[in-house]
Amino acid sequence: MFKKADTSALWAIGLSLLLFFIGGILTTVVPPLVDTTWAKPFENADPAKGMTGKVVPLTDLQKKGREIYVREGCWYCHTQQVRTLLADTKRYGWRGVDAPISTPDEFVYDNPHMFGTKRTGPDLARVGGKYDEQWHRTHFRNPRDLVKGSIMPPYPWIVNNPAEFQAMVAYLQSLGRGKDWRPAQDYEK
Amino acid sequence: MQPQFSKAEAGNAPAGALVHDDATAKWFLVSSVAYFFIVGIIAVIIAAKFVWPDLMGTMSWLTYGRLRPLHVNGMLFGWLLAADMGLAYYVIPRLCGVKLWSEKLGLATAALWNVIILGAVVSLLAGWNQGWEYAELPMALDVLVVVAWIMFGLNLFMTVASRKHQAMYVTIWYTMGCILWTAFVYLTGNFAVLFTTGTNQANLNWMYVHNAVGLIFTPIGLAIAYYFIPRASNTPLHSHKLSMVGFWSLAFVYVWTGAHHMIHGPISQWLQTIAIAFSVMLLIPVWAVVYNLFATMKGQWHQLRESVALKFLMSGVVFYLLTCFQGPMHSLRTVNAIVSKTDWIPGHAHMAVLGCFSFFAIAGTYFAVPKIWGKALHSQSLANWSYWMLMIGGLGFFTTLWLGGFWQGWQWNNWSIPFIDTVIALKPIWIVRFVSGVLMFLGIVMFAYNILATAMGANEEAAA
Repeated sequence: MFKKADTSALWAIGLSLLLFFIGGILTTVVPPLVDTTWAKPFENADPAKGMTGKVVPLTDLQKKGREIYVREGCWYCHTQQVRTLLADTKRYGWRGVDAPISTPDEFVYDNPHMFGTKRTGPDLARVGGKYDEQWHRTHFRNPRDLVKGSIMPPYPWIVNNPAEFQAMVAYLQSLGRGKDWRPAQDYEK
Repeated sequence: MQPQFSKAEAGNAPAGALVHDDATAKWFLVSSVAYFFIVGIIAVIIAAKFVWPDLMGTMSWLTYGRLRPLHVNGMLFGWLLAADMGLAYYVIPRLCGVKLWSEKLGLATAALWNVIILGAVVSLLAGWNQGWEYAELPMALDVLVVVAWIMFGLNLFMTVASRKHQAMYVTIWYTMGCILWTAFVYLTGNFAVLFTTGTNQANLNWMYVHNAVGLIFTPIGLAIAYYFIPRASNTPLHSHKLSMVGFWSLAFVYVWTGAHHMIHGPISQWLQTIAIAFSVMLLIPVWAVVYNLFATMKGQWHQLRESVALKFLMSGVVFYLLTCFQGPMHSLRTVNAIVSKTDWIPGHAHMAVLGCFSFFAIAGTYFAVPKIWGKALHSQSLANWSYWMLMIGGLGFFTTLWLGGFWQGWQWNNWSIPFIDTVIALKPIWIVRFVSGVLMFLGIVMFAYNILATAMGANEEAAA
């Protein structure tokens, strides 16, 4: 069979596509059919069944903020996933509460997905509610004013544009809030 | 029947030899070399931004978040893929013993490719970013890429269909495989993602990102290595059987591994396990190819002293072996918990795309350009210097990022260390990275100047 592909271009084409499609289909089309949590938004109102919460679509303002997040390439340096590693749940927790592990059902409304591949800065999956608006204003103007040693670029054009800044903060505050993981410890309380 | 290299190769036939036009190859090679230089400047700037974060920081279109996708897309599609395509336009007609099917179509493809790259520069700097890694370009450009790829594929498939030699050398399979697989991988990463969200979308995105390297740059890169290593050393390929093992196992194994980008992440554990198993199986095609290429050089290693092309080619094979050992190891859950998301990863990625595939493309360009223009290379010693600059800069870049990334990973796993301390700890690493980047850039400048000076005729002496 493989010998034939030495002399026949059609055999070579057919075989290389056939082998490719076996893995291609089994790893892209099949998984979402098998694992339905990929498409079903997280929702739980019963504390006996574990953590409560409800993942809802973003508001228009939050969506606008998300567009800025995509445009500025924030996702090249910040991931949005608390992995199944103890260190991740501890590091991205808040005031002694561990951050819950990110699950596919929390990201059903994400488009484009912002999971990211690189943590030049910290993970942002659970950043919502940790810092208030004034903190973000100062931080975007010059990150080094608040975090000495940071290498994040300054974003004065976001701070100086009130509409964009409000949207950006609204989006950041929404991150990771689909699960009620620290009801008593938000900045506003 | 075993296709013998000398038989399949028609480029050197003395009498009544076929004269290749090579106009398409010329345009692709010259423009790709120019982009290598231009995007090299961007690369040095973003490396500098790690050391001086305020550098050019007050203009939105010069921030890290805008320049990084330009660096990645510019290097991958402006330089590497375009150079690979140019070399394919050079190699495939020679292996088939016929002229390229249509130089007109080829020139139109080259023009369209340049339109796409210039469009990419404008849109990425403006922040028109779709938000998927390697698939940042806006939809209009994605459509043009598909059109250009069909033009490229049609031209080469028609050339193969009209070939004189029935047996196809391994370079031809790899090139055909690249054209076919790329088509589907690109459609998945740029179009299928539109109909999905969240984890499902990420799974398609990583299938594309991983296979952009595994089924676009790997097959076309190996096609080039399989052609130019025997050609530049004037030695037949070690084993036809082994090259078959490498090709067909690559065709089967590579596509399964996309989910290894989400190890420990919000994606089904069983899918992670499948990706890990197949990532480890990747050692089969890699070792088959590497053994075959090393064995080809058996008794011929002394030729590396004289030939810059062979230096690049064989260093590329060593980097291929190393990068494809790292890859399967990264996918193991324990190793992944340390290196994933750290600076180790750009060290690994640069070894694959620069150390291996760009070295192959540089070697092919150094070999083909004098032949195409019928002139001697502008300067052998400058070519040698470009090799050592890229080699030393590259090694400095890879090794410091591995060390730094590993250290960073250990620090992250100790959650009593504040995140910002793990950033500050890496500052010396980023200084070395910047200096290594400057060395690599100097290598690129020497390479680009040498190629352009050869092409523009600064040296009129005919090729020996």
